[in-house]
Amino acid sequence: MKAELRHFFGTLTGRLVKSAALWSLAALAIGGLVLSLVFKSYVLNDVDKRLSMLIDSMVGVSEISPEGVLRFSRPLSDQRFMTPESGQYWQINEDGQDPFRSRSLWDYELAPDVKHRSFSLQYYEAAGPAGQSLRVAERDIILPQSDRLFHFQVGTDMAEVEAAIAEFNWLLISALGLIMATVTTALVLQVSYGLRPLRRLGRSLTEIRAGKENRIKGDWPQDLQPLAQEINALIEQNEKLVERARTHVGNLAHALKTPLAVIQNEVDGASDEASKRIYSQSRLIHEHVDHHLKRARVAGGGSGAGLAIKDRLEKLIKAVAVTTQEKGIDYQLNCEESIRFDGEKEDFDEVLGNLIDNAGKWAESKVSITAAKIAKSPRRSFMEIRVEDDGPGVGDEDIDTLFERGRRLDERVPGTGLGLAIVRDIVEMYGGQARLESVQPHGLRAVLKLPSK
Amino acid sequence: MRVLVVEDDEILAEQIQQSLLEAGYAVDMSNDGEDGHFLGGTEPYDAVILDLGLPVLDGGSVLKKWRAAGKKMPVLVLTARDSWTDKVEGLDAGADDYLTKPFIVEELLARLRALIRRAAGQSSPQLECGPVLLDTRNGRVTVSGRAVKLTAQEFKLLSYLMHHAGKVISRTELTEHIYDQDFDRDSNTIEVFVNRIRKKLDTSIIQTVRGLGYRLEWDEGAV
Repeated sequence: MKAELRHFFGTLTGRLVKSAALWSLAALAIGGLVLSLVFKSYVLNDVDKRLSMLIDSMVGVSEISPEGVLRFSRPLSDQRFMTPESGQYWQINEDGQDPFRSRSLWDYELAPDVKHRSFSLQYYEAAGPAGQSLRVAERDIILPQSDRLFHFQVGTDMAEVEAAIAEFNWLLISALGLIMATVTTALVLQVSYGLRPLRRLGRSLTEIRAGKENRIKGDWPQDLQPLAQEINALIEQNEKLVERARTHVGNLAHALKTPLAVIQNEVDGASDEASKRIYSQSRLIHEHVDHHLKRARVAGGGSGAGLAIKDRLEKLIKAVAVTTQEKGIDYQLNCEESIRFDGEKEDFDEVLGNLIDNAGKWAESKVSITAAKIAKSPRRSFMEIRVEDDGPGVGDEDIDTLFERGRRLDERVPGTGLGLAIVRDIVEMYGGQARLESVQPHGLRAVLKLPSK
Repeated sequence: MRVLVVEDDEILAEQIQQSLLEAGYAVDMSNDGEDGHFLGGTEPYDAVILDLGLPVLDGGSVLKKWRAAGKKMPVLVLTARDSWTDKVEGLDAGADDYLTKPFIVEELLARLRALIRRAAGQSSPQLECGPVLLDTRNGRVTVSGRAVKLTAQEFKLLSYLMHHAGKVISRTELTEHIYDQDFDRDSNTIEVFVNRIRKKLDTSIIQTVRGLGYRLEWDEGAV
């Protein structure tokens, strides 16, 4: 899960979503913080205003009784001042007198700050009865009818206010969280919608590599169009380069081999040492040239619709049969019509041509070629081709060395000994497999696994 | 047997020509595709050796043109392009056999012999007519086991007749197939050759079909 997440954030979509989401989160967090602070200060302001009004009304109903005691001409309207520990309290102090307190305080006494006299309102937090935490407003007042200084205090329990603030914060966080979730979802959708052409481009390239298409086709958004064009141009250039290389190889073959034929014929049959050496060296040149030209020709890629192998095998058999007409070898082909090779015609020809040719050279009377699809693996499908002869076969100890370059077990049968090496090279380039095995009672069988369409 | 060689490399062409002459063929040479195409289209060859990489007109096109025009003579293709795809394409174009360069001329001669034999419907390399035996591999002629020494022209004539044993062959046809194009032909010499061969073989396998030509046939009753 962790690895998957890391993988997601490594993708283009992931990076875009991540960066946009971080910005949104920061913006929402700042917004939320500001809102919460504003709300809190507004609520506190409201509390303070109420406390100030309460002090005003307390002053309004205060009078000095004929006995010279401070009293209220009528009770304050809020019933909570009468209920013990209700959260609403007042207290009036005069130096040297017992404090005059609301009933709600019960046996609790607020601690007035009498050291700092102030006729303006002071607000502060203080402890209250029953462990309450109070917001207290206080001021000193000289009642008009007397010269006595009274210290008025009014307090309110903050629990309610704090509960309100907490509720507001909770609501705020929920709302912001919801907004964040919505924004993130929208971001993912938006990014994946925006990047969809890129993914389509990727799929196009996959199809080209798989050989299903040969160019990127269709309309692209204006900012992707140049990319698509460039990729097409690159593919085209690549094709041209391959084509040019093949033409060069063909030309080189022609240019080298005619003079080689002349040299070989010039010294063939001569018995002096020099001529023999020239002959063997020119054969060596021929072998080297063959090996490298053949390797250079191998393309190793998928091709458009694939190659229908039945028709191709028939033609190759015809080409091989020409060389074995004297022996009257019977070539049997057993191949389903629908099998297609996922690769270049030249490469298929080279592999099967060499194997069938080899089988034809050694066979006593018959060569059989069978091709069949094999169970599809999840990514690629393969076919199996068997080329079998009824010749003398090869000892088990030699069988693995046959694929080596320049290896020829019997010098009497003509051939440069490069055929099987190139077979293995090509097959491996296509991610296939080639192996040789003995046939009972005698003969050799080549088994190939090649990619099919 | 008359053979056309279309090859643009001078030295190789010369080597081939030399070996063919030594092996008793009448040989016409051409060094470009257009000239080769013309010769092959107008002269009656028993076989053609055709290089695929030719100037003016490439060998593949020459071959296709011949086949499209209904020319059926056996063609052996020489090619430096030795991929199997090239071989398949060569055969598709109508070649009867191919040889990839570099090659040894002996190999070419062996392939050519086989090609001519097959085209004439002969399956064995030893042609036989009664007591007369002609081994195409070494050009030896024997009658009941006795070796007979023939001149080059006599051999060419007998070889052609033996390849087409049982068929009536006109003097013109014989002339066309035992002389190359530069030879000053005179059909009267054919009669001289035939008589000499009859004398050397000392059997009556060559019969004269009046007004038509000759036929090779072994008649058990004759001497």
